[in-house]
Amino acid sequence: MNRWHWLRARTPTCSRALLHRNRWLRLVGVALLAVACGCGQPSRDANGVIHLTIWSMWSGQEEKNFLKVLARYHELHPNIVVENLGAVNDDTKTVRAIVAGVPPDLFTLSDPLYLGPLAANNAVYPLDTWFRKSGLREADFVPASLSLCRYKGHLYAMPYLIDDYALFWNRRAFKEAGLDPNRPPTTLEQLADYAVRLTQRDASGNLTRLGLQPIGDLNVITQDFGGRLYDARTNRVTPDDAGGLAGLRWYVNLINQMGGYQKVNGFAAGFGQAQSANNPFFVGKVAMMLNGEWNPYWVSRYAPGLDYDVTPIPPPAGHPERARSTWLGGNMICIPRGSKHPKEAWDLLVWMQTEEAQILFAEAMNNVPNIRAALKSPRLREGAPYKRKFAVFLDLADSPNGGHFPALPVANLYNNELTTAREMALDGRKTPEQALRDVRIRVQKELDRYR
Amino acid sequence: MTPPPAPLHAGRTVSKARARRDLLMGLAFISPWLIGFLALTLYPIGASLYYSFCEYRVLSPPHWVGLRNYIELFSDHDYFLPSLYNTVFMFIELPIATVISVGIALLLNQKLKGMALFRTLYYLPSVVPTVASAILWLWLLNPQYGLVNKTLQFLHLPTTEWLQSPVWSKPAFIILDLWMVGGGVVIYLAALQGVPTHLYEAAEIDGAGAWTRTWSITIPAISPVIFFNVVLGIIGTFQYFTQTFIMTNGGPANSTLFYALYLFQNAFAYFRMGYACAMAWVLFLLTLGATLIVFRSSSRWVYYEGEAR
Repeated sequence: MNRWHWLRARTPTCSRALLHRNRWLRLVGVALLAVACGCGQPSRDANGVIHLTIWSMWSGQEEKNFLKVLARYHELHPNIVVENLGAVNDDTKTVRAIVAGVPPDLFTLSDPLYLGPLAANNAVYPLDTWFRKSGLREADFVPASLSLCRYKGHLYAMPYLIDDYALFWNRRAFKEAGLDPNRPPTTLEQLADYAVRLTQRDASGNLTRLGLQPIGDLNVITQDFGGRLYDARTNRVTPDDAGGLAGLRWYVNLINQMGGYQKVNGFAAGFGQAQSANNPFFVGKVAMMLNGEWNPYWVSRYAPGLDYDVTPIPPPAGHPERARSTWLGGNMICIPRGSKHPKEAWDLLVWMQTEEAQILFAEAMNNVPNIRAALKSPRLREGAPYKRKFAVFLDLADSPNGGHFPALPVANLYNNELTTAREMALDGRKTPEQALRDVRIRVQKELDRYR
Repeated sequence: MTPPPAPLHAGRTVSKARARRDLLMGLAFISPWLIGFLALTLYPIGASLYYSFCEYRVLSPPHWVGLRNYIELFSDHDYFLPSLYNTVFMFIELPIATVISVGIALLLNQKLKGMALFRTLYYLPSVVPTVASAILWLWLLNPQYGLVNKTLQFLHLPTTEWLQSPVWSKPAFIILDLWMVGGGVVIYLAALQGVPTHLYEAAEIDGAGAWTRTWSITIPAISPVIFFNVVLGIIGTFQYFTQTFIMTNGGPANSTLFYALYLFQNAFAYFRMGYACAMAWVLFLLTLGATLIVFRSSSRWVYYEGEAR
């Protein structure tokens, strides 16, 4: 199969915004590429079979899982062949293809933060009208899964499985530290207290175990403290709202008590790869971690002897209403402007929401379905022993206290600025207030330009 | 009987036509390069200058904002200016690298047995691709398991977190780069072999010691090569990117956010292409300025054979 066949005939469906580039240069470029690639195949062959192209982020075993899904679709719809180009895990490549007028028919967002810029610049199809006509019902979806795909209230992508976060704890480490292995912390304050007690050092004072793995995405915690990052009503970013501040203060305190930013960072630099037997939680270098639903399967594969358990992240003291808080992400699939078969692409996205397609992929990937009915599937909950722990994430997906990063045209900037601000606060170069206020001012200024 | 003279103007026309044809033929033959240069070099350069005065989000058409990008650059005390300072900090590396590579080249220029082996050993790190050596040094500099800290511990010297420390991350990069000076060493070595031996002989007869010979003959003789390497070093330092992109991505706390990395983030992560283009032009002017200063100073310290001194 020639995966480059889309480089041939172009349909003039690009939006005005995308046509500003020099057409001649583009024509020359496309012609050269078409020559260089030899003859591909038309998107509809002699038998009337339509060839859809999808660029997806998956590679290796995950790509094989996805190919099985696509093969099943072809079985059900013999007139459609979906060709997958895997391992497109750099969204800027897709952006360049859209700008150049040669996008695939669909693509997965490897980084959900790119949805905002794509939607704000009208580079992907809005899907609301098709959604209404397709017979899909909003109530069937995990609420966060659709809101992840929305920009300014409009749907620009469809979810296909989601991720959520929970608290893992090493039961043996709990016993060693004199804690009850059957009782995970019930408040965030207690979690910090446990983390300090679980932290271990050798005779010369060097860290040998951290109570809590350094949190890659602190939004998990600020969300739990009630931080919201963005207020859609006023179109204001709110990194320094009460929850955002409380979360950062909590974390700065915790890191200082576990040994300070540089020591903790230096220790974490020695952690092995997450998807391996050297995962710091699997080998006991960290006693607790906030992490996603793929981990129970990984433990069963890489560290079957590990004595651990998993539970939702606890709320802050005095706020039991925030129990079962979680942070969500997901696989999002967009139809770019310039897609040759947007209608057929949409039909594929609709099929992906069926229980069959959801369970087929979720079972292979150990991710969480975004369709409520599929969350109850015994195929995902029963069988292998690790599935009991996986089920914690299935139950958590529907939690009303789930949050996610807002789709904003400046999402990437916002996220990087947050990361840097948190490092500044952890290193003591700025106070949490100052660091987060600076983020608000800089990001808001940029956001205001997108009106 | 003399044959009638050939009409002169006709010959001129013929040769004119031929010259024109030759020119066209010539152009046709170099057209692959010409087209490439115009479409892939000159056009993008010109476009980037235009975009630097625009707000350009890549996915939608650019619109003119005048000098806004440039004004914002120089009032950005959180990212742009720190990235510039970080880059300027890396210039510490330039004199150190020059002294070390000239020194190594002098040593490798001795006529000793097995010298080819030593030359290979010193050049070897430069053969390793930057990405591979970056990943290698991630582990060498690892605070827990790294050979660097283990060696320091063995010598009872204090250790540090290197790339995980906002203070030590830039020095860590300098150490990494000094490991890769082999490329410069080879160029110096070639220059050293070209220094005329009669100068050394004359100096020896005059009673000059090894130090005087090195300082008064060798260094002046290879000064054009030092000059060349310094200019390349300046350009390379302003473009410092790969190591930080692979190893730290600007962290911790922006301590390794170098100019080129911030430019890249603006262009490809934040969709601020206009801003990134403005950064690129400022970078061009900075590089040009620094290079010009070195060029200006070169008349004082660079010696070309045949010049009076």
